[in-house]
Amino acid sequence: MSVDDFGSLAGARGDGPLHRLDARIKLLAAVAFVVAVAAVPLGSWPALGVLALILGGLIVLSGASPLRLLARWLGFLLLVGFLAALTAGGRAAASGMSWGMVVLNLLAKNSLAFLMMMVLAEVTPWNKLLGGMRRLGAPPVLIATLGFMQRYIFVLSDELGRILTARRARSFRGRGGLGPASVSNLIGVLLIRALEREERVHAAMTARGWDGTMRPLDD
Amino acid sequence: MVRCAPWTTDSNETKRLIPVATTDPTTADPPAIRARGLEYHYPDGRHALRGVDLEVAAGESVALVGPNGAGKSTLLLHLNGLLPGNRGSSAVSPHHHGAGRPFFRPRRVASVWIDGLEVVDRNAREVRRKVGLLFQDPDDQLFSPTVLEDVAFGPLNLGMSKEEARRLARECLKRVDLVGAEDRPPHHLSFGERKRVCLAGVLACGPSVLALDEPTANLDPRSRRRFIQLIQSLSCAKLIATHDLEMALEVCSRAILLDGGQVVADGPSREVLGDPELLEAHGLELPLSLLLEREARK
Repeated sequence: MSVDDFGSLAGARGDGPLHRLDARIKLLAAVAFVVAVAAVPLGSWPALGVLALILGGLIVLSGASPLRLLARWLGFLLLVGFLAALTAGGRAAASGMSWGMVVLNLLAKNSLAFLMMMVLAEVTPWNKLLGGMRRLGAPPVLIATLGFMQRYIFVLSDELGRILTARRARSFRGRGGLGPASVSNLIGVLLIRALEREERVHAAMTARGWDGTMRPLDD
Repeated sequence: MVRCAPWTTDSNETKRLIPVATTDPTTADPPAIRARGLEYHYPDGRHALRGVDLEVAAGESVALVGPNGAGKSTLLLHLNGLLPGNRGSSAVSPHHHGAGRPFFRPRRVASVWIDGLEVVDRNAREVRRKVGLLFQDPDDQLFSPTVLEDVAFGPLNLGMSKEEARRLARECLKRVDLVGAEDRPPHHLSFGERKRVCLAGVLACGPSVLALDEPTANLDPRSRRRFIQLIQSLSCAKLIATHDLEMALEVCSRAILLDGGQVVADGPSREVLGDPELLEAHGLELPLSLLLEREARK
């Protein structure tokens, strides 16, 4: 998932019935759905089918663009497919199912859970989601960290974009990706810039009377 | 003490109060900012400030000019107690914290006073309420998910109720002409808008002193003009670190030239910024407006 995708997620807009629902309900329902998916025993295709129908209904109700969901799902599929292929052997031996069926089953379960979270993000702006978590009693430090992450991922991605542009402007190789040495360099540079920014952000927070306690404005 | 806060608007500005804890006995009506022999070494041992002496009266606007690395930003951080004072200490700070990282250890000797209040650890809270610090990069200062939450951050830290903080934040946003931006995430704002949100966040703390670090840097001409007008509409004492000498001439009656961590010149803006030899010796140049004036006189 690219940062741009993240951006459209974080700034979820729209005014469907799911958008208007309290973030807490959405969060709890999504987590319950994921738990239900995880609890379905290996090979219970009918149960997964029912859950998939529920998810499909929610996707229609959310008004999310199926193409966008599909694009994200495909990206996710690569990683999970790889992991499922690695772990399926043992499961197959234990359950007596064929290796391919186990992989398919793992993929289906993971995809259902992933798509549910995507739908949740589509219908809940990030700050509402954090507000919901807060009211559900999530630790303030966790909320603050997630808030900072969402805020600064854009700043960092802008910075990354500038570094890449500057690098392209001075590289004469034409097309082709960066070598591993360049990539590791880049990660190092970004990390250091992020650390420096952290110090300035901390100073700015302290300058406005911050004493280590996050005081949310929402109830 | 003159406040920039919305509760004492610029029209009826001077609300003088006797500071509660006047620890500097030499002045009955203490200056808004006073620094005496302010020293600072970076953690790597570099001597950033070498005995800076300066005073800014209540309500006065002073420009802090000088080349890059002169110590302007470091000086501003000191006003807020964000850097540990190490007057009289060894050349290298024993604590290896990064520059800019607020690190507090009890300081016995103050070298900065705000409204007569010593800038030391035990006064940190009160000092930070009095000094509004505007950072150069708005992304350093805007860290909340929404604009309203960010502006309300200071008031909430000062112990205001959520209702009160929200009301004050809205008022401050109105002051900087950003009504309607309350629920927008900061990364959806333009640079100029982000800068104004930062100012609103600072004003919401009700400072009596504003320390502005390059307030007009990277702004397009229209946003710059708007920001200058905003700054001018605020009645509290201002110390403005800047390379924008035209703005310094326009906004500040006095200018302090800092180079190599020392005050090189301190006087009326038109005198300090109208001395080409002095400016060139310290990496600056005559503002265009003054240059044209001279040409016209010739």
